Amino acid sequence: MRARIVTVLCVVVLAAAGCGSSSVPPPSVVIAPVDAQPSGAQEITTAPVAASADCGDREASLRPGPLPTPGAMPPGSPMAAIAERGRLIVGVDQNTYLFGYRNPATGQLEGFDIDVAREMARSIFGDPDRIDLRVVEAGQRESALEKGEVDLVARTYSITCERKKIVAFSTTYFNAVQRILALKGSGIDSAAKLAGKRVCAVKGTTSLAALLALNPRPTVMSVTSWTDCLVMLQQGQVDAVSTDDVVLTGLARQDPNVEVVGDSIAIEPYGIGVKKENTELVRFVNGVLDRMRDDGTWQRLYDANLRSLGPTPDPPTPRYQD
Amino acid sequence: MGAPRTPDARASVAWLRRFARTTPGVVSVIAVAVAACCVIAGVVVAAQLDERIAEHDAVLDHSEPFAYAAQNLYVALSAADAAAASAYLAGLETPALHARYQQALADAASALADATAGATDANTRKSVAAISAQLAAYTGLIEAARANNRQLLPVGSAYLREASSLMQTSLLPGAEKIFTANLAAVDEDQRAVGSTPVVGLGLLAFVLVAIVVGSLILSRRTNRQFNLGLIVAATLVLVVIAWVVGATRLAASAIEHSRTDGTARFEQLAKARILAQQARTDETLLLIARGDITAGQITFLHRIEDLTKQLDTVHSAAAGGVKGWAQSHGNQVLAYLHGDYAAAVAEAIGTDPNGSAAQFAIVESTLRDEIEQTRATLRDRVATAGAFLAWSPTGTLVLMVFAAAATLVGLWPRLEEFL
Repeated sequence: MRARIVTVLCVVVLAAAGCGSSSVPPPSVVIAPVDAQPSGAQEITTAPVAASADCGDREASLRPGPLPTPGAMPPGSPMAAIAERGRLIVGVDQNTYLFGYRNPATGQLEGFDIDVAREMARSIFGDPDRIDLRVVEAGQRESALEKGEVDLVARTYSITCERKKIVAFSTTYFNAVQRILALKGSGIDSAAKLAGKRVCAVKGTTSLAALLALNPRPTVMSVTSWTDCLVMLQQGQVDAVSTDDVVLTGLARQDPNVEVVGDSIAIEPYGIGVKKENTELVRFVNGVLDRMRDDGTWQRLYDANLRSLGPTPDPPTPRYQD
Repeated sequence: MGAPRTPDARASVAWLRRFARTTPGVVSVIAVAVAACCVIAGVVVAAQLDERIAEHDAVLDHSEPFAYAAQNLYVALSAADAAAASAYLAGLETPALHARYQQALADAASALADATAGATDANTRKSVAAISAQLAAYTGLIEAARANNRQLLPVGSAYLREASSLMQTSLLPGAEKIFTANLAAVDEDQRAVGSTPVVGLGLLAFVLVAIVVGSLILSRRTNRQFNLGLIVAATLVLVVIAWVVGATRLAASAIEHSRTDGTARFEQLAKARILAQQARTDETLLLIARGDITAGQITFLHRIEDLTKQLDTVHSAAAGGVKGWAQSHGNQVLAYLHGDYAAAVAEAIGTDPNGSAAQFAIVESTLRDEIEQTRATLRDRVATAGAFLAWSPTGTLVLMVFAAAATLVGLWPRLEEFL
């Protein structure tokens, strides 16, 4: 009797153990979907520097003297040092369509900024190809000039009082306005509609500071280059991109599903950046810009690069501080 | 069980107690106890040796191939990234560069399948799943970069950079984790092959003691000094002990060789190969970013320094290639700093036999060959260890059964005297 009870108990226990092991499958592997983002993309909540410096007329630059003949720079001047080196080193962009980008077919850098930089080389050497184009990220423009890594920066470089504390600027050679790039039909058509949306801008740019100054402030994502913003927009990681209209037009040309919308959030005058102590070079650059405005070069370069922005306007009028 | 015994059972237990105190009882107890100990010890020793052979099979059939596959996975992923970056640098990609990219992807998929076969623990399987998902995302980004590039849209380079970032920050660290885990598994299995079967040896010693004690009791009870059966049994046990100790010592020494000349060297070489791949990608990305190269250059030089140290430790023939490569890289940086971008690109991906591409190819193929050799050494030594152990389970079991039989046969005449 006892043996039978034990047997029955054993059978029950074994059956229960068997049931337990067969009803629970081995754990399956579960992983999260891959959401690749451009390298260095991050949310920004505070502007790195307060954009409240006051320097009077920010666009006023140093008045140029008579332009020296190409190939005959005044001895002892920074231009003579560049001439001796054999090449003009200019910090440019490689990812901003129309202004500074690498043509994938030729591998060459092209755009309005690049052509302006070549005009500088032409005025020093008489040859626009005696130039060394260095790509600098937006956030590195000041340090590249300060460290002397580049002679000039021609890279959609907005003139601000903040930056003028660190570097010197030429006169304005292009006027851009900050606007918004969004998907067609997204309903975003003004700065006010950005409330609660995610907006992309490049680290260290005036556009980023302007976005952070908006009220209500949108969620601001910062990346290292403007094409990264387009990638994030295409991948649905941001709702809009905001910066200068020329940059946005360049991005919009790469994707028929997006458009440039809204009124001006800010005016962005572009100047050529020069090391602060290099006043002689600033005057020289301003002289070259004057020549370009006068002899039709500016219009020619605009036609060649920026026709898609609309009819060729007059070049910006230079303003001088003395 | 505390169940009350029936009168019959109680009687038989009492009879057994009485019988055990008589001389024939003592002889029977010794015979049965020693024979049983022999068989039990034989089974345990055989099982323990069998375990070591199973571990040896595990090294050869599972852990070593998995570690090799994981190493291949890392290299293939890295090669795909380097090929995609080179194709971008070259402007419109050439069929040869595209073929190299596709080959690297196929290699990565194969290595992933091989590594998946070995994934028994949940963590490794999770890593493998993550790599599969990320690889699909990676190729998607590369194709987006290609499509945009073909339309001359600069956003293509942004997709390429995003893909490379995914590779460097997620895919490669994941693959490295799998490789490290698999290599640790190889080492663990190897140690198991060469370990001494302590429990079995303890049991064998116990059997010897039992035989000695049995003999002493026997000589006191029967006035006979030795029992031939017990002497034969003791001799057989000694032979088995010698066999077990000898076979496991030899196996352990072969395993020690497989670890130092195999696993350890394999790990060092694989690390060197990974460093070389990373440095190569750094070098290409420096040119694609076309920005301030200071930070990237520091990383590259650190990697080359580590690589050189690593190659010195293992006396690899790839050291010469690294020197040539570093030299070409120096030329590339010089060209870049002088603004001669085309020359820098040519130095990095051109066909010049002294250029970075050719020198890197030498480093890569030398390391690949050395890894293959090391792998062969590792497997060879482990196989040797297995050969030392091969007949030991069967042999020891048979000998111990013989010892048990000798005990019974030897004590039977002593028992017969009382029947």
